[in-house]
Amino acid sequence: MQANTTTNKKSFFVTHRYWIVILGILLFLPPLSFLFQFSQDSNFCGTWCPRMFFVWRKGISGSEFLTGFIRSYLGVALVLGIVASTLFLGRYWCSHLCPVGGTMEVGSRILPRFLKINFSAIPAPSFRYGYLAVFFVAPALGIGNLCCNYCNFATIPRLFGAGFSQADMAYFLRTAGLINLGLVAVLGFLAKGGRAYCNLLCPIGALDAVSNRIGLKFGRRVVIDESKCNGCNACAKVCPTWSIDVKEKAEIDQLSCMPCRICESKCPKEAISYGKIKA
Amino acid sequence: MKIKNIIFFVLAIGISFLGATWRWGDSAHSIGLVKANGGEAKHPSFLESGKDSYTLIATARVIPPYRGDARVKLEGEPEMDYKLYASGPIVNLGVHHWPVFKDDTFYDLNPRDRIALWVVMKPPAIDPVCGMAYQSGFSKYTYKGKDYFFCSEGCMNSFRTAPEKYKDLDGVRGKYTLAFYDTKTEKSVLRVPVIFKGKGDMKDAGEHHH
Repeated sequence: MQANTTTNKKSFFVTHRYWIVILGILLFLPPLSFLFQFSQDSNFCGTWCPRMFFVWRKGISGSEFLTGFIRSYLGVALVLGIVASTLFLGRYWCSHLCPVGGTMEVGSRILPRFLKINFSAIPAPSFRYGYLAVFFVAPALGIGNLCCNYCNFATIPRLFGAGFSQADMAYFLRTAGLINLGLVAVLGFLAKGGRAYCNLLCPIGALDAVSNRIGLKFGRRVVIDESKCNGCNACAKVCPTWSIDVKEKAEIDQLSCMPCRICESKCPKEAISYGKIKA
Repeated sequence: MKIKNIIFFVLAIGISFLGATWRWGDSAHSIGLVKANGGEAKHPSFLESGKDSYTLIATARVIPPYRGDARVKLEGEPEMDYKLYASGPIVNLGVHHWPVFKDDTFYDLNPRDRIALWVVMKPPAIDPVCGMAYQSGFSKYTYKGKDYFFCSEGCMNSFRTAPEKYKDLDGVRGKYTLAFYDTKTEKSVLRVPVIFKGKGDMKDAGEHHH
């Protein structure tokens, strides 16, 4: 596989990624919660909920299922926008804009290295789609639900809000809240690269990854120029989603890759770039 | 490598099923409508008896033409300690109207407003034999590391002779109601039933999804 674009000048999206992530956090999360206020919301719960509308729950009628789309219409728009943009551009929402994953990654970057846990021994796509299968199947069978009880989009905003609002603080006064806090801490803040939660337990990330795989032929992706790669492993070491496997040459798993493009900056041979994949 | 993938796929399914089916029993979520002639939550919220503290997230939309101030109260016997926290923007940019929540009252509810109220409840200890709520003067008895409180020697002796029969009956049970009253008319504008059940009766419990 080869990229048809190779530039020595680093892209704005590479050099300024952390600033864009922080902008996403400021726009979406407390205390400002800027984007939510246009729909009389103060967080992702409600009109902006991106996790619930596509899940069929046992016993509901077709019209109740559709009502869910209307109630969370901005969440629907958000997910459709994410998945559609990923087809063509790769998972820029996940790597640059998502305030949930972004918070965990920034948090992990701030923490000292000796605290970090390396989850790269876990085959991420296998685990992720096992989780996603239950995310869909358990409510359809009526035996349980992963939507609200284990919601990253509920936990991270309330982590910010807890410093300001007692209602947000109350989120963590329940068993479910504490478990979410634990998951976010262990798989996010304490994870090497800060993206283990995204890679293993985020249903939006899982859907987005499928879109990334489907759009491979016509969309832009992070690609490796095999003629330049010397298999030095520098890229694999820094990948937050452990999606690079180096045998003789580096190989990217497009089911886990998001275009954070940290690898691109680290490659001593400039063998990694972002562009269309040549067959 | 293939086998490793299958193992992790199955492992993820197992862990996720456990997570999805496990009931914590200390929190619930209700969705309701605030209506001038009396709104009701769609489903009652079920909580598991015997926990130290509970959280109910009560969300509701104000249905036109209702407009006014509504006082919120948790009703039920025995009386329970509770605190109400309304969720709203921390920095209000003024793009939308938001009712003000103060002293357990929503002020200036407008048609189509959305409210989210966090109710943190701390139930009193219950004498597991006679069902009385804790009062000062109750005597304490510890069984298997847990404290139980009794109104009288008689109740305590009944417990001591058959502790297994009574040990799970020390929490509040039955129906409570989170009630919203219009402050001018004193009419009920929303009622959210909250039902405390024993562990064995908790089949439909946990967070209620909508």
